Amino acid sequence: MEELSFVGKSVPRKDGVEKATGRALYTVDMVLPGMLWGKILRSPYPHAKILNIDTSRAERLPGVKAVITGKDTLGIKHGFVETPRYPPDQYPLAMDRVRYIGEEIAAVAAIDEYVAEEALNLIQVDYEELPAVFDAEEAMKPEAPEIHPSHPKVKEPYKNIGGKTESGWGDVEKGFAESFLVREDRFEGQLRTHCYMEPQATLASFDFSGKLNVWTSSQGPFIKRAKLAATLGLPFSNVRVLKAYVGGAYGGKIDLFSHEFCASLLSIKARRPVKIVCTRKEVFEAARHGQPIIVNLKTGVKKDGTLMAQQVKVINNSGAYRGSGVVVIFLCWGFVMLCYRIPNLKYEGYSVYTNNPVRAPQRGHGAPNLRFAVESQMDMIAEELGIDPVEIRLKNARQKGDILPNGDSVRNCGLVECIERVDKATQFKEKYGRNKSLAKTGMRKGIGMGVSSYFSGSLIYPNASAAMVKLNDDGTVSLITGALDIGQGAETILCQIVAEELGISMDDIRVVAADTETTPVDIGSWISGGAYVSGNAVKIAASDARRQLFEVAAQELEANPEDLIAKNREISVKDSPGRSISFAQAVAASIAKRRGNPIIGQGHYRTMKDVPAHPSLATTKGRWSDNYAFDAQVAEVEVDMETAQVKLLKATTAHDCGFPINPLIVEGQIDGQVSMAQGHALWEEVLMKEGQTLTTSFLDYKIPCAKDMVESHYVDVITERYEKDIPYHTKEVGEGYVSGMVAAIANAVYDATGVRVKTLPILPEKILMGLKEKENQ
Amino acid sequence: MKKELIELRVNGESCEQAVEPQRTLLEALREDLGLTGAKEACGTGECGACTVLMDGKPILSCLTLAIEAQGKEITTIEGLSKAGELHPLQNAFIQYGAIQCGYCTSGMILNAKSILDENPKPSREEILKGLEGNLCRCTGYNKILEAVMAASIGKD
Repeated sequence: MEELSFVGKSVPRKDGVEKATGRALYTVDMVLPGMLWGKILRSPYPHAKILNIDTSRAERLPGVKAVITGKDTLGIKHGFVETPRYPPDQYPLAMDRVRYIGEEIAAVAAIDEYVAEEALNLIQVDYEELPAVFDAEEAMKPEAPEIHPSHPKVKEPYKNIGGKTESGWGDVEKGFAESFLVREDRFEGQLRTHCYMEPQATLASFDFSGKLNVWTSSQGPFIKRAKLAATLGLPFSNVRVLKAYVGGAYGGKIDLFSHEFCASLLSIKARRPVKIVCTRKEVFEAARHGQPIIVNLKTGVKKDGTLMAQQVKVINNSGAYRGSGVVVIFLCWGFVMLCYRIPNLKYEGYSVYTNNPVRAPQRGHGAPNLRFAVESQMDMIAEELGIDPVEIRLKNARQKGDILPNGDSVRNCGLVECIERVDKATQFKEKYGRNKSLAKTGMRKGIGMGVSSYFSGSLIYPNASAAMVKLNDDGTVSLITGALDIGQGAETILCQIVAEELGISMDDIRVVAADTETTPVDIGSWISGGAYVSGNAVKIAASDARRQLFEVAAQELEANPEDLIAKNREISVKDSPGRSISFAQAVAASIAKRRGNPIIGQGHYRTMKDVPAHPSLATTKGRWSDNYAFDAQVAEVEVDMETAQVKLLKATTAHDCGFPINPLIVEGQIDGQVSMAQGHALWEEVLMKEGQTLTTSFLDYKIPCAKDMVESHYVDVITERYEKDIPYHTKEVGEGYVSGMVAAIANAVYDATGVRVKTLPILPEKILMGLKEKENQ
Repeated sequence: MKKELIELRVNGESCEQAVEPQRTLLEALREDLGLTGAKEACGTGECGACTVLMDGKPILSCLTLAIEAQGKEITTIEGLSKAGELHPLQNAFIQYGAIQCGYCTSGMILNAKSILDENPKPSREEILKGLEGNLCRCTGYNKILEAVMAASIGKD
């Protein structure tokens, strides 16, 4: 196989210098001449009718340039999902009713933030309070207040059901009947949040030609443009979303947010640029957090641990609007069935409306909470059967080439190798269970394992990526891509691919990215398809440019195009030393020979290219993804048996990400996910009381700091290859590795203490309570 | 409130600014001087993204008033590289993969600089203790530690 120069190498970030010198411009840094500041008035009630809004005093305040309420909008709803079954359900500004504390009611644009804030105080809103419900299972009861009375919902015996997914195969009752052991457990995941360091921010500028220009802290410009255009009633082409650096997102900045709509409409009304930057408190109180889910899990196994049947009921508290709630109940089905072979499965998922803020995907989108449930129960079953955790996982693990129940192939699945190698690397079997004979005092160590799997791109708008590679007359290259680098390194890995295909240096490539006007469509940095879908589009575009250039170079070198190779900024004839021209000379020659017709390579790529649409969210039928990443992770913890403080000492991740395009970036992704898993498993929780968020700062909501750093080890299981002229099948690496680690930590805490905590986070008081219960037994 | 005329010395250059007494140093740097490298992530002194150096010591510029900075030497991330040459810490952050989204990077590098200025050979624990006030959600701090260690022993 040909040796690679850039792909597969730990190349430093393309945007490293910009970021290290403070030159990178984020949305919060953007300023335009005549710019106004916007502020948003939010509902103080979890559920109320809006009787009247009087903005007249605010409008009269000197310095106020525009005030908007629902009446100034077209009353067009939007949603994370917009399908006939799940029509959009949220107004960008409330019309006649508010359904959560923090819902947007009005917005003001003024000459500075202080005047805008003052104007908010002058807006008079009359409400009629309505009964509210906050707990998902309470909201399902017949006597619960109805949150969307006029809205078509899923036909269902329960109340307030915003979405439902049902799936399965085989006969679970028969499976349970034939099982040696059947366990039934309930696990609860908490409400966690992203804590992106850059708060939600948008700068919108409507010009006199009727065009709206928008910079916004996001995860991809195309979905933002589509939803902004729809809610504002503008043609797509009149909305341009441009690139800004993004200060973290992790799933929390995907679809339309009201502040983006408000900045845009205020700019249209004031005919001046308007910027809205949410405060951290606003982000905690009113932006979207992750999805808290309850998992009821019934599992039957044979005496040797072989899975016979699984019955899963997932309940998601989606908040006042659907958000991504109807997606997470689909995904949880996937996260159940990916890792292990399950002969009989019955799955039902419910997404329930409550009077809480709306929820969004967060890194792993359901997988961390779901895998926590499955992997915890797996260890409980193993213990009851007297099998070790490694053996029970190996016995049931997905194998290379398995076809999933929906028809997808897991292709080169490396799960078995991941489990075997992480066992070896951590001496898992030697360490596991070492506490059984020890006294329950002092410091105790524990080790636990978790496995998970994640898909690599699926079909949600805009479904596909395209790219252009333009060769410039000085021998440099412009990569034109719709992909947005949100910190994960998209631009770097895409440049590595261009450099590899054209045989030039990373420094020769300039990136034009993430601009709906000048760059082609991109799948977005939110569906784990960047390296695979955008990467293949760029690869095809670069090789198309190379093909065109070789035609010219072949004439210059009096050779056949197929005998040429491009390397080290030179194009040379294979096996003919001395017959070469520089890359720059070849491009210059192409301009002359082609009479100015520039070489622009084009490429596009779609995952599952012949599949028309995303699988059914209701039934899970249909193809889901081309590639699945797998991992087996091990956590090693130390627990102070006095205080039940848990310290995560070491995390080992054996991962099958296909192949790492940039190992340094892959390691960084794993480290970040281990850190998020640490917070998710042990501390993080957004606390709410009757719809009011109680944790509104980084002091209340603790995320890991430098002193909490976990020693992170990696075991690479390489299952795919990168070769010239054929698409590659690398897999996702950005969000799948939170899940196995959350589960591994929970299992390690059990190994250390003998206490099984079934609700996240695993706080010391829960462990102490468990220890006390054991004492009393 | 009435504005006051103050003299700020930032990255070796002096400038006069008329500021309201309640204006924070972070606002003055970002909005009046156009030095947007220092970031606001919380505005309440919890995250360290706004860290700059005042007479060589790290301070939270979101909790410091601009008028307090008079007569002091302020260093922001923009002042760290000299004549186009990156500071060894900046190089190390790039080489070791210590930057992802980059939003915490300015504050992190400046705080790391103050740690190394005080103690050129800190232990791992001393570095982590020193950086605990600078939150990063992307990296898990592993590569940041590696970068600071590398810079401390004079690698690039």
